[in-house]
Amino acid sequence: MQSVTLGLTWVCFVSLITLRAAPLQPQQRFKLESFEYVWATIRDKHWDPKLGGLNWQAVHDELRPKMETSDSISQDRAVINEMIRRLGQSHVGIIPAELYNDLDSAPAAATDQSSEDGNIGIDVRVLTDSGNRAQVVVTTVDEGSAAAKLGVRPGWQILKINGKEVATLVESTTELLRNSPSRSITLLDLMLTRAILSKLSGHVGDRSQIEFLDSENKPIELEIPYRTPKGAKARFGYLPNTHVWIEQRKLAGNAGYIAFNFFLDPARVMSVFEDAVKTFNRCDGIVLDLRGNPGGIGAMAAGMAGWFIDKPEQRLGTLYLRDTNLKFVVNPRRPAYRGLLAILLDGASGSTSEILAGGLKDLKRARIFGTRSAGAALPSVIERLPNGDGFQYPLANYISEGGQALEGTGVLPDVEVAPTRQALLQGRDLALDAALSWIKAQKK
Amino acid sequence: MRTRVALLLLVISAPWVRSADEPLPKAEVIIDRFVEATGGKAAYQKCRTEVTTGAMEFVGKGIKGSVRSYKAEPNKTYSVTELEGVGTIEEGSDGKVAWSRSAIQGPRIKSGEEKTTSLRLATFNPDLRLREIYKTIECVGVETIDGQVCYKVVMTPQEGSPDTRYYDKKTNLLVRTSIILKSPMGEVPVESYLSDYRKEGDILVAHKLKQKALGQEFLILIDKVTWNRDLPKDRFDLPDDVKALTAQ
Repeated sequence: MQSVTLGLTWVCFVSLITLRAAPLQPQQRFKLESFEYVWATIRDKHWDPKLGGLNWQAVHDELRPKMETSDSISQDRAVINEMIRRLGQSHVGIIPAELYNDLDSAPAAATDQSSEDGNIGIDVRVLTDSGNRAQVVVTTVDEGSAAAKLGVRPGWQILKINGKEVATLVESTTELLRNSPSRSITLLDLMLTRAILSKLSGHVGDRSQIEFLDSENKPIELEIPYRTPKGAKARFGYLPNTHVWIEQRKLAGNAGYIAFNFFLDPARVMSVFEDAVKTFNRCDGIVLDLRGNPGGIGAMAAGMAGWFIDKPEQRLGTLYLRDTNLKFVVNPRRPAYRGLLAILLDGASGSTSEILAGGLKDLKRARIFGTRSAGAALPSVIERLPNGDGFQYPLANYISEGGQALEGTGVLPDVEVAPTRQALLQGRDLALDAALSWIKAQKK
Repeated sequence: MRTRVALLLLVISAPWVRSADEPLPKAEVIIDRFVEATGGKAAYQKCRTEVTTGAMEFVGKGIKGSVRSYKAEPNKTYSVTELEGVGTIEEGSDGKVAWSRSAIQGPRIKSGEEKTTSLRLATFNPDLRLREIYKTIECVGVETIDGQVCYKVVMTPQEGSPDTRYYDKKTNLLVRTSIILKSPMGEVPVESYLSDYRKEGDILVAHKLKQKALGQEFLILIDKVTWNRDLPKDRFDLPDDVKALTAQ
């Protein structure tokens, strides 16, 4: 008889926050089928069969008439999103079908630059000034990017994107979260960051008009072309194609630094990660920068943790599925790194980032610097709906090794350090500085 | 009265039914019929190696890949799964050591019940050697699976949880298996549904395997099975990084 076993090793969980905005196009087919699919999937497959006491049938009966009378794809999505928002959880949402266009198209079409998503090569966060006013600030500028070539620097404040005030976007996103069933304020940084970054994205070849306040607080307006994002394009199931980068460098003070933007493309990312850890084997400490990393393939957290753990049977946490529990067990790698480990987190670190950081913190293997993470840590999967949209739903609850449900709570830093515009303008990274100071102090 | 109600509920909720006048055959007889239906003992005994190629997908998740597996007497196995967006996942056994290796987890040696289960599942021509593998094999009833009336056979190994198999009463073919896979991650019940039996050489082989685990569905479509191909001598040797772990 043939082997009919399923190797556990290829059961990977996706746990990724997907909050990218996309242009909506008319698409009205299969709307009721899609509504019913989402409703039944949550009823039958959600890790909590009781859905936290929510009357799911009543939600169906209330919203089904709205779906029947909706007359556009945007209204369809609004009704479905309203249904799933009632759960009050992360990792549940609709991914517009348009985002799959390049994924579904033939290779020849996929190489067409005009249809490719690009960005201007900066990262941003929403910080608060001394008057407690929100300000959208550039935190990093990619070397060689379109923004770098035009002189954009960390610490510059963004006032407008393509003629629209970013303050309005910040207010509306904050309001949206305040009115959501979860009201989980830990998600705010993640939602704001993803919302603004999506506004800073566009088709390669097009240009964006951005108004900044520069380092001397002078308004400056730049026309910045969208370029292909850094990193390599990665594909995983029904996630929209994503550019994944990983970088490593040696820092002053005999420390190594590793950062990457998604837990995806494991064949390449895990290999570079392994090389980096081995390169830094004699360093006093390693800084793992997970700021802004919204997650990806959950199993990669345990895989990476293996490079820092030399004892068998250690685990980062436990997944609670509908009918079984799975432990996030770490497979110790050799030679494991035994030096100091600092992990940088912020409110835009979600999901797999939280599983890795929270687990290593609970195992007392890492010290966390930065700000609280997003608290969006439900392992999930993505399926395609009859109308072509993607549908992401949580498959399991996740409890870290310290007994903490990360969903809605996040990972709290050991050393809280928030970035400031002033420090960024001075070329300083306060969380990284704090981590390096700790490594230096421990060495003494 | 309460006892009678409880008994009634038990009868109603029992998942299998059979008429009282139909004695269940012995499990060995059911398995012999399966061996006969799929080619006969002599055909199986001629086989020394097996190479299987196929495609697999996580149903509805957009994750697809390919599978190649190699098996040889008495319990050597090596399989490679290539999954889009994940990379290569290898698993194997040289008859003594059971191991796995992937881009995500790195090399790993299986131990305890996970190892026992892997070695048991690596057995070549297991249906001819059931008495060596399982301490008890028992037909416990009749159940209907996808409209097919099946004998339910429970096989209890020397160590670990029982495997359950369902053989179609009419065709004698194996149509479903239930096993519990154990690993450091925990216990995962896996249901496999076998269909699309077609001849590969002298043996009838299921070409479609639908598996359900962790609330998800996985599909394996077998493309080809080749028997008695000469395999490289080192086919089942442990990879260097796995070998290094055995030395530690």
